[in-house]
Amino acid sequence: MTEYKTEEIISITRICKTFPGGIVALDDFSTSVSKGEVLVIVGPSGSGKSTLLRCINGLEEIDGGSIVIDGIPLDGHRRNRKEIRTEVGMVFQSFNLFPHMTVRENINLAQRHVRSKSLKDSEITTLELLRKVNLLDKADKYPNHLSGGQQQRVAIARALAMQPKIMMFDEATSALDPEMVGEVLAVMKVLAEEGMTMLVVTHEMGFAREVGSRVIFMEGGRLVEEALPLDFFQEPSTERAKEFVSKILK
Amino acid sequence: MNWRGRCSNLYTMALSEEIKKRPFRFTRKNRERIKDLFLLGLLGLILFMGIREGALNLRYQWHWGRVLRHLYDPRLKTPGLLLQGLGVTLEISFLSLGLSFAFGLLTALFRLSSSRFARFLARSYLEAIRNTPLLIQLFFIYFVVAPIFNMNAFFSALLALSLFEGAYASEIIRSGIISIPRGQWEAAYSLGLSSYRTYRHVVLPQTLRQILPPLSSQAISLIKDSALVSTIAIYDLTMRAQAIIAETFLTFEIWFTVAGIYLVINLFISFLVHLMERKIKRAYR
Repeated sequence: MTEYKTEEIISITRICKTFPGGIVALDDFSTSVSKGEVLVIVGPSGSGKSTLLRCINGLEEIDGGSIVIDGIPLDGHRRNRKEIRTEVGMVFQSFNLFPHMTVRENINLAQRHVRSKSLKDSEITTLELLRKVNLLDKADKYPNHLSGGQQQRVAIARALAMQPKIMMFDEATSALDPEMVGEVLAVMKVLAEEGMTMLVVTHEMGFAREVGSRVIFMEGGRLVEEALPLDFFQEPSTERAKEFVSKILK
Repeated sequence: MNWRGRCSNLYTMALSEEIKKRPFRFTRKNRERIKDLFLLGLLGLILFMGIREGALNLRYQWHWGRVLRHLYDPRLKTPGLLLQGLGVTLEISFLSLGLSFAFGLLTALFRLSSSRFARFLARSYLEAIRNTPLLIQLFFIYFVVAPIFNMNAFFSALLALSLFEGAYASEIIRSGIISIPRGQWEAAYSLGLSSYRTYRHVVLPQTLRQILPPLSSQAISLIKDSALVSTIAIYDLTMRAQAIIAETFLTFEIWFTVAGIYLVINLFISFLVHLMERKIKRAYR
């Protein structure tokens, strides 16, 4: 293996997270992600997949352990957290576009106020990204005028506008009508092919098999199994994973 | 828009032509209309009779003709005393509207802040203001606080009104902020926006659109409450009315005229807000 292929970009060591009320979301969880890797995270609901992503960009605070992203530790320091957030793009299940702004303004916002770019420079990036997600004609529409699939593609463009090193997708296609899942997955696939480091929580097994470079299976906030996608879906090694795979492939 | 507007015009024209041609029939809709008209007429008649009866019982000499000169002075060709008072009322109301919004926003943000001290401060202000009468707050500021800072009556009135309405505005603003879905904050934070930027560009613009209706009724309250400033010798609409009555004994004529003026102003504000709301709705629906 060459050096660059194993260059570590995310290192998570023994993190724990308990929500008020005693629900354990992450329990002594460790993993690391290399540059360019597409890590697919699967598991039953409540297994801590989403919490993991939310901890990585500081939307949730961890109770113990450490997260280091591209050499920056995610500790209590506000500056570090902000820097990590600009390097990690996040796409949510419910899109979370800003409804009072046009598509163009949605994508411009963070470029202007986080990256301090001029309106002109932001617009150049924005239009480029809209072309990439194939929505150039919707630039001046409001999110409510778009379909779910289109909204999610705008959300991806909005995250990409920060030129992040890592993209995280939290069940990005779960809220979509079946015929719109494809268009979003296609965009994600292009990203993966371009070498973007990705963390993907998904139930789309076809995508996981085709694009994923590694699958981790979580349950109860713990890492239960870690495997190559093909192996995982054909021959899971743990009992629990077998049960899970057989259920979702049905 | 233009094209569609023209189309709908053509459509209504065609429709009215058709209505002209159609003979009148006792359809169910028409029967409803006749019934509504009849009820409206009846209600009007009852109201009129009632008020007339009440007015006659007063044994009061009505001199509506003498009201006009207090609205507009024909000799000097200047606004009369009542309209001069209205000017002061509007001035104090609009200044205090802006100031109370600022107080309200600040208090709402303090109440939602993670700092215990800020929350305590906001809560104390809110409870103190909401649970005591405005009249006494006005006196307190004018007689106790104002001398310390050398404030005049106008400024005291402005401050008292703004503090009072600000407390109510803060609750409206706070509930508006809370109603914005969590995901909006998370999306903004995940892009690296600071708390300030998130509020400024994402949360508050959406909040404002939501709280416009309750905020406008708060504004109307403020204009009516501003009548209390007459108690600390500010020559607003109410104070002018009192002075004129003391001179002319046109008690009811002047008071009813004043109520009418407040009514017109407030209806106008409601109308403006209605227009704004419609514009906002059109923008992102």
